[in-house]
Amino acid sequence: MSAGSSSRLPRRRPAGRKALLATLMLLVAVASAFPLVWMVLSSLKTPAESMQVPPVWIPHTPSLDAYGKVSGVVNVGRSMWNSLVIASITTAGILITSMMAGYAFAKYHFPGRSLLFSVLIATMFLPPIVTLIPLYRLVGSIGLNASLAGIIVPNLANAFGIFLMRQFIASVPDDLIDAARMDGASELLILFKIVAPSVAPAIAALALFAFVYHWNSYLWPLTVLQGNADAYPIVISLSRLLSYNRGAVNTGLVMAGATLAVLPPLILFVLLQRFFVDSIVGSAIKG
Amino acid sequence: MINRYRASAGIMLAPAVTLIGIFILLPMLLTVWLSFQDWSTQTPFSNAAFIGFDNFREIFGASSVGRDFKGALINTSIYTALSVILILPLSVAFGLMVHQHDVGGGTALRTVLFSTYMVPMIAVALVWSKLYSPGEGPLNQMLGLIGVGPQPFLSSPRSALISIVLLNVWQQVGYFTVLAIAGLTQISGSLYEAAKLDGANRFEQFRFITLPLLRRTLLFSAVIAIINAVQVFEPVALITQGGPVGSTNVLTYHIRRVGIERAQGGLGSAMAVMLMLSLIVVVCALFAFANRKDQE
Repeated sequence: MSAGSSSRLPRRRPAGRKALLATLMLLVAVASAFPLVWMVLSSLKTPAESMQVPPVWIPHTPSLDAYGKVSGVVNVGRSMWNSLVIASITTAGILITSMMAGYAFAKYHFPGRSLLFSVLIATMFLPPIVTLIPLYRLVGSIGLNASLAGIIVPNLANAFGIFLMRQFIASVPDDLIDAARMDGASELLILFKIVAPSVAPAIAALALFAFVYHWNSYLWPLTVLQGNADAYPIVISLSRLLSYNRGAVNTGLVMAGATLAVLPPLILFVLLQRFFVDSIVGSAIKG
Repeated sequence: MINRYRASAGIMLAPAVTLIGIFILLPMLLTVWLSFQDWSTQTPFSNAAFIGFDNFREIFGASSVGRDFKGALINTSIYTALSVILILPLSVAFGLMVHQHDVGGGTALRTVLFSTYMVPMIAVALVWSKLYSPGEGPLNQMLGLIGVGPQPFLSSPRSALISIVLLNVWQQVGYFTVLAIAGLTQISGSLYEAAKLDGANRFEQFRFITLPLLRRTLLFSAVIAIINAVQVFEPVALITQGGPVGSTNVLTYHIRRVGIERAQGGLGSAMAVMLMLSLIVVVCALFAFANRKDQE
């Protein structure tokens, strides 16, 4: 479009504007990436380097010592494992419950459908703090406090997943489903063998979102675990590093811890970012 | 046939509806009920004793409970307003950049912006508490390079809340940029062609085409940004603990402290109900405002 108009009206202005735009984009990208780049660089510094004023931006003698020291403060292996268990099981649960409910809302007609859907969707906009106090007591009274199950079970279903699945399953042709019914397939079989493959990108998007969200979540695990350090996910374990945060000596240690916490979700994102974007766009404009 | 599928609907819905019912809807109703009770979080729900509006009287009263709650309410309002005011224009500006350069540079910028949204808050808190360090912190070092004196950032009551807002904007703006791009791609290019033929300049195209057609996206973004903002917890819990002198004591942090740590379940629930009511009022007002604009 812009190439066409500039060939008709050869002027210097568009080129200048393009350069300006490119510069602006670069500045925004640098500003946005700076904290993370600085975090990784600082994690590779020696204590002496991280103490220097004015700061050394790029470590002269990069070392991984700080990463070893993090293990001296927190149980990195155990916490990473807890995070993996929490995020994986929660994600699997969300996928199953969301696909089933999304399929029901997209393809069945039953009385009260739109009312039930509205009530469920309303919970999407409910800040978790509103339910935190009774939920804490409720989970305690069924004996799940201070355990991984206490973190996982209340999160096995959510409205966002149902909403997203309904949006995408609605676009699966009814003929496809009817044909399978003619062949005598059960509804669950139809959902997992026929509907699921045709909405695979949406499932991938939801899986990634759920995994990252529950890997990163802090408030609920902190509340339900009540100091049971054996069950701490990595994001809670690492909060111990904040008390090491006074003085520059431990900057490298703190940044190594932060880098460890960031890596799993960030790697997932960089590999599979298309799916993340699809799911946000799908939740915002589809249907 | 129809009956069979009705039964299937029940089976398909049962897991999600049961879980959401028990772990979201029931606690929500309990919050409302508990807000009228004298109840300690350490005791069973059956220990709750009805006390009418006393909890609400107390959180809006002149005692220290009232002062702290009103402070938290004000801090959260300021935090929310500042977040929305910064995030929405930035997301549109960044969205336009990415959208106009849809190949290569645009996608790369989108990736960089959105990647911060994947960073756990603990890492954000660890990194920014160092970036904001008064002496050796990189931000003050950089300000020094352009001749600005060192800022206290998190250590002064005047700047602590805005410092947390900036940290939050940094983390979230990529998400809203993706929403803005989604909105921009829905605007037909022919509208711009027509406007160009009519002699509209870039600014006029933005003012009379982009902005009006982006209104639904902006409304959605505003609602999400508000709901995200009232949930701010980690940076406060991790870095400032509500200080200095209560300047970052936001509602989520305060409600958890009252309701869980001090176990004053009734008081905390009353605060949570007020948060929910304020949110409903603000979001409804936003929709009413948008609808009025639609009719104009």
